[in-house]
Amino acid sequence: MSAAALHLPAWVGPVADYMFHTGLLLTLKLAGLAVVGSAVVGIVLGTLLTLPSLAVRSAVRLYIEVWRGLPIIVTIFLIYFALPSAQIRLTAFSAAWIGLTLWGSAQVAEATRGAIQSVPREQHEAAAALGFGWVGTMTNVIFPQALRRLLPPLVSLLVNVIQNTTLAALIGVAEVLQTGQRSVERLQLTPPSDSHAFEIYGAVMVVFFVISFPLTRLAALLERRLV
Amino acid sequence: MLASFDWSYIAEHLPELWQGLLRTLEAAAIGIAGSFVVGSLLGAARAHRIPVVSQLAAVYVEIIRNTPILAQIFLIFYGLPRFGILLSPFEAAWIAVTVWGGAFNTENFRAGFEAVPTRYREAALALGFSRVATFVNVTLPIGGRISIPSTINTYVAVLKNTALMTAIGYQELTNTAYSLASFSFKDVEMYSVLAVTYLALVWLLSAGVRVIEGRLAVPETA
Repeated sequence: MSAAALHLPAWVGPVADYMFHTGLLLTLKLAGLAVVGSAVVGIVLGTLLTLPSLAVRSAVRLYIEVWRGLPIIVTIFLIYFALPSAQIRLTAFSAAWIGLTLWGSAQVAEATRGAIQSVPREQHEAAAALGFGWVGTMTNVIFPQALRRLLPPLVSLLVNVIQNTTLAALIGVAEVLQTGQRSVERLQLTPPSDSHAFEIYGAVMVVFFVISFPLTRLAALLERRLV
Repeated sequence: MLASFDWSYIAEHLPELWQGLLRTLEAAAIGIAGSFVVGSLLGAARAHRIPVVSQLAAVYVEIIRNTPILAQIFLIFYGLPRFGILLSPFEAAWIAVTVWGGAFNTENFRAGFEAVPTRYREAALALGFSRVATFVNVTLPIGGRISIPSTINTYVAVLKNTALMTAIGYQELTNTAYSLASFSFKDVEMYSVLAVTYLALVWLLSAGVRVIEGRLAVPETA
């Protein structure tokens, strides 16, 4: 359906096209990669947090406190602007992806630790009594039960990661917000010089709301059902 | 990388960085105070199901929680001039974090107020307290304390979110470090200082409020 058929002003068509076909695609790609990365790294780190070794736990704890403590934009700036001095040059997309994953994995690690520790002690003892080793206990007994508790925070993380992908705009990744910003600047510079900033940033908010709202509902539903 | 770390550049520019830090703290302080006020008022309206206000507050909370704060900042700073509302970067900064933190705090306080046992409120009403007096003397002190852990998370997030104001040119800490780095190419120095400062701020704030939390926590006697 073209913009003309809906009687929309002429500027809307190209802007919507750019924001959806370039912007939204990159947003979803960035969010997807960051969520998968956060889940994988976070679950491993969270499991390490339940080990008896103090050294391992301290190292993971430091990782969590640092990446959770820093504003994500500062992490992204560190990766994108400071790492090149150590001969590590990343594209803006990779820098954003890694920054979001560092933050997200710290969140998941904390949630995983909580989920694992919420499984009653007797389950560990029963598994040990049945002759399971640590790996066997974890994969056969603890994880299947912990996963139920991990699901709601993982869905909430997905929402947060999707929203935080907009930070990539600040280092020039053409995700939804950045494509919106470029459209605003282009409209400002071409006659009749009306930036339509309110409509465009409003549309960005609508796009994110439409994606996020069902997911936050789902997280709340899972919380009631599973925990 | 470490061998060439230029401490003198940091030392030379400490005054600017200090100015930036003060601006960060200023926006964060207003945002924290503002989100306490907005959150406790709207949280009370939600918990007591005050007609119209409660529904409007629910819509406000859902919009803010389900949209990126950076888009909210852009809408406030670049979008509002359409309606003749021209804000300075500082005004846009504290308004944005207050609106954001207020929405999260509305939920935090709502949950806290709703966790106050009904019998406490009934007891106050039976003693002849008005509804407002019951809220001020019973629900707020008890429910407010129940919601402390979650409100603290919101305050720390408000502080961290002030870093995003670099996008609208509010010269807080992140913006200051960013501009210095882009003039001088001392990226490692500037972003290290930035990271260390934020970690110190966030850890101090978390530790400080944990002490307050311990003092104010509701004794587990109910």
